[in-house]
Amino acid sequence: MLILPLDRKLLRDLSHMKGQMVAVSLVMACGLAMMIMTRSLILTLEGTRDAYYERNRMADVFDSLKRAPMSMAERVAAIPGVAAVEARVVVDVTLDLPAVPEPATGHIVSLPEDRPQVLNQLFLRSGRLPRVDQRREAVVSEAFANANKLQAGDSIVAVLNGRRDTLFITGIGLSPEFVFEARAGETLPDNKRFGVFWMNYRAVATAYNLDGAFNDLCLDISPGAEAAPVIAEMDRLLANYGNIGGYTRRDHASAQRLNDELNVLRALSVAYPIVFLSVAAFMVNAVLARLIRLQREQIAQMKALGFSSWQVGLHYLKFGLVIVVIGTLIGALGGRFMGGSLVHMYTMFFRFPSLVFHMDYSAMGLALLVSAVAASLGVASVVWQAVKLPPAEAMRPEPPTDYKPSVLERMGLAKHFTPTFRMAMRNIERRPWQSLFTIAGLSLATGLMVLPGAMSDSIDYLLTYQWNMAQRQDVVAFLTEPGSGSGFHDLQHLPGVISAEPVRSVQARLRNGPHSRRLSVTGMPPGANLNRLLDGNGRQMDLPEGGIVMSAKLAEVLGAKLGDEVVVEVLEGERPTRTAVIRGLIEDFAGIAAYMDLATLRRFMREGETINGAYMTIDAKYWDAFMRKVKDTPRAAIVLVKKDQLAAFRKTTGESIGIIRTLYFVLAVIVAFGVVYNSARIALSERSRDLATLRVVGFSQKEVASVLLGELGMLVLAALPMGLLFGRGITTFIITSLSTETVRMPLVVSLFTYTTAVIVVLTAAACSFWVVGRMLDKLDLVGVLKARE
Amino acid sequence: MCREGALHTAILRHVTDALNPLPDSPALPSHPVFTARGLSKVYHTGELDVVALNGVDIEFNSGELVVLLGPSGSGKSTLLNILGGLDVPSSGQLSYRGWDLTNVDEHTLTLFRRNCVGFVFQFYNLIPSLTARENVALITSIARDPMTPEEALDMVNLGNRMDHFPSQLSGGEQQRVAIARAIAKRPEVLLCDEPTGALDITTGITVLEAVERINRELGTLTVIITHNASMAQMADRVLNLSDGQVVKSRRNETRLPVRQLDW
Ligand SMILES: Nc1ncnc2c1ncn2[C@@H]1O[C@H](COP(=O)(O)OP(=O)(O)OP(=O)(O)O)[C@@H](O)[C@H]1O
Ligand SMILES: [Mg+2]
Repeated sequence: MLILPLDRKLLRDLSHMKGQMVAVSLVMACGLAMMIMTRSLILTLEGTRDAYYERNRMADVFDSLKRAPMSMAERVAAIPGVAAVEARVVVDVTLDLPAVPEPATGHIVSLPEDRPQVLNQLFLRSGRLPRVDQRREAVVSEAFANANKLQAGDSIVAVLNGRRDTLFITGIGLSPEFVFEARAGETLPDNKRFGVFWMNYRAVATAYNLDGAFNDLCLDISPGAEAAPVIAEMDRLLANYGNIGGYTRRDHASAQRLNDELNVLRALSVAYPIVFLSVAAFMVNAVLARLIRLQREQIAQMKALGFSSWQVGLHYLKFGLVIVVIGTLIGALGGRFMGGSLVHMYTMFFRFPSLVFHMDYSAMGLALLVSAVAASLGVASVVWQAVKLPPAEAMRPEPPTDYKPSVLERMGLAKHFTPTFRMAMRNIERRPWQSLFTIAGLSLATGLMVLPGAMSDSIDYLLTYQWNMAQRQDVVAFLTEPGSGSGFHDLQHLPGVISAEPVRSVQARLRNGPHSRRLSVTGMPPGANLNRLLDGNGRQMDLPEGGIVMSAKLAEVLGAKLGDEVVVEVLEGERPTRTAVIRGLIEDFAGIAAYMDLATLRRFMREGETINGAYMTIDAKYWDAFMRKVKDTPRAAIVLVKKDQLAAFRKTTGESIGIIRTLYFVLAVIVAFGVVYNSARIALSERSRDLATLRVVGFSQKEVASVLLGELGMLVLAALPMGLLFGRGITTFIITSLSTETVRMPLVVSLFTYTTAVIVVLTAAACSFWVVGRMLDKLDLVGVLKARE
Repeated sequence: MCREGALHTAILRHVTDALNPLPDSPALPSHPVFTARGLSKVYHTGELDVVALNGVDIEFNSGELVVLLGPSGSGKSTLLNILGGLDVPSSGQLSYRGWDLTNVDEHTLTLFRRNCVGFVFQFYNLIPSLTARENVALITSIARDPMTPEEALDMVNLGNRMDHFPSQLSGGEQQRVAIARAIAKRPEVLLCDEPTGALDITTGITVLEAVERINRELGTLTVIITHNASMAQMADRVLNLSDGQVVKSRRNETRLPVRQLDW
């Protein structure tokens, strides 16, 4: 292959500046890797989800109710726009796992016996479905089975409507309904204590006196039809059957979580490349600007020889493009690798029949394009200089650079500055943009170090402080059915109960103008001290009689503020509709909640001493006795043990934060090292004559290095505080974009996180400075000084 | 091994504190400033070995003004750089005031340059980001017994341009700042490699006058490389180099002041 002489020059020049090429390419690669990784993860998650939903027919509309005869399902099926209906019985039961002292929850979903499932079809990983007429056979969800080391052939004890029964596991399965498999309202899955079971319809229906009836409904909407009118019609039909109200996938716990995650990824897939590529673009700019200053005479020669300005411009543009190609290749490999490891992390949260990483090759093309644009923007001004340089002028050496006293000196602050310090100050001031982008790059690196630390600080705060401040109970026990005052009395007198506070929770729809949300409104006694309602400053709030107190996030989605009146449509009992004034906003971190004074709520419902459960503190000595008793109490369905919730949360977030930490650490080190290396190389090249002069007049190698260090050191020092702020900012951005109706986090950054970030960036900067310092030692004093500037 | 160590320490002490060579330094009066014996320098570049110096035997004495002449490539700069501790010979001996300079480490050479030698090059090599005064102050901040920058600049008649940056000075003025910077440390030796090479005649004269004045007033051993044979008249001694060897050495009966040189 014929290599043109100009390209030969390109290759030789490139090999002389390979260190810088690699540094810039790596920074660029970091951004591209993040972009390719996030886009590939989006492709992977979205593709896997869509295929799964499609193949196993994930329903479009969901509804639950108290009890309706099967014939009603046929009437719902007849609503125009409904393509398919799956009516079933869904109940929560208490499980007695020998290895776990606390009761676990089984979420039982019935399987039709006379026909295959139409919607939310079970994916059988192993084993088989329950045989027709087998009342005690069940398929169990994979996440639960794995966490508890269960397999087909094992058995498990469950309390079905008050009766202890042994269930035999016939198979392990998954369903598109439970990709995110957690109790309603739980932030993160606790697979050890929550599992889904699929059993024959008759087995469940008989146990709960629902034979010939259903309490849960899923619909498939025909293509082209609207969900809203269907839901309205369905709610009308089922109004007398204790209907909670239909909702779409948007409000479906599992589908919503998956969606939230995709939205976060989408935000990051844009934000990261922008930040990294801007820094890389300015690094390319600095490298090429220096190259063109050095090659002024060569440019003149090329033009004198007859190369067109355009050819010369293209020649220098190619330097940028080589960086882009190298960056894209490294970025693609890095993105693939990172994506591969993060996909593994997602399997902790999201359960699919298979989640295989899919590289988004179109993202590679996009990466190439985006980085080419970034690099071109970076080199455009410099290449333009080369293009318009008149040959005759270029033959003359560049006139000596103009300097002036720096701002600090002009302000009269400079009496005691040493000459070398003045050199540093004036050099920085003479190239403000270059200095600024060195600072920007280092700030980015610092911020990247702050981010994962701040995330884990915030989670720590949430777990150790906020959670314990608001939730002071040891356990929350719920009854299978709302009970009378005696129910509370029973709970209160379980062994070891120190204190107990009753809870009444009612399914309701809160409405403010066009905005509405379905949730449970919780009634609490005045002065409740176990589940405390805290405002943004951590102060406990009263529950004013007649008013309502809600999550600040709920007010936000309802578009309401303190003092506004919202409509409360109760979806249970006599389904009363009332209004309530928002009397307080609480800063909570999981789900959306609304609270009312217990007496007010009961008046509202026109009921007596009804409760759903209780918040309790338990004497540690009686822990096992308490749990044993609860497992045997038929009416207690769900027991949420705070320390188990915390442990599960900690474990899952701990693992994912660990992976993210490593990732960001690598990125930060690459950026810090690359940026300092690049700036130091440019400074070394620009000032080799100054530095050689210093050596000749008798400065030692160390002293000369300290001149260069002084200049870069000032930039590093300026960058650190900005980087810490930037880190805090980007953490705020991510925490805000993570702040969904399901999960929210406080923003807390510890001194340790800041210190670590500073130390890592300083160390990376010191290392790259050391590398450049080695080159300084090899500086050919005589050669540099003999050459004409 | 042990001997070498002792020598190193001795030179170090000598260079740093025992001797800050002053014009009529009584420390080691019996020795010439430089003594070179069989001094050679071979550059290994690729396949070809270039012999830049080929067995030079020479002495330089205190207070002398020496002009070095010779065709291009004859080894003038190489010799000067070795004298000034910027380069080391491939073989042969070089001593400064009786102390061996051929087998010393980088640190000792740095101290030697810092305290004993002033350099002036064809391209002034001023630091563009520092004013004239600050360029000189650079040295006075590290040398052991320096003049003030003002004194040094006065000696080259630039007392009135002290706060100007190099870009605001003419070539001759820049070169005089370079001289002031070289002599502010009161070096025993001033080495000038074609100091007027980039200047016109009139400007060159002012620069040479500055050099001459320093040699006269401070008694600094001064070695000047030039291609201009007429400058030979201002010297005490004229050396001719050719192919890396000293081929001719001549002593002038009288030194002509720079103004009276015949250009
Ligand atoms: N760093 C080097 N590498 C290789 N060869 C060198 C080097 N420096 C000098 N030379 C060679 O050594 C020889 C002497 O060079 P030197 O610079 O001492 O000559 P000079 O007498 O000062 O010439 P000029 O009058 O042109 O400055 C020359 O042939 C030169 O090519
Ligand atoms: Mg020379």
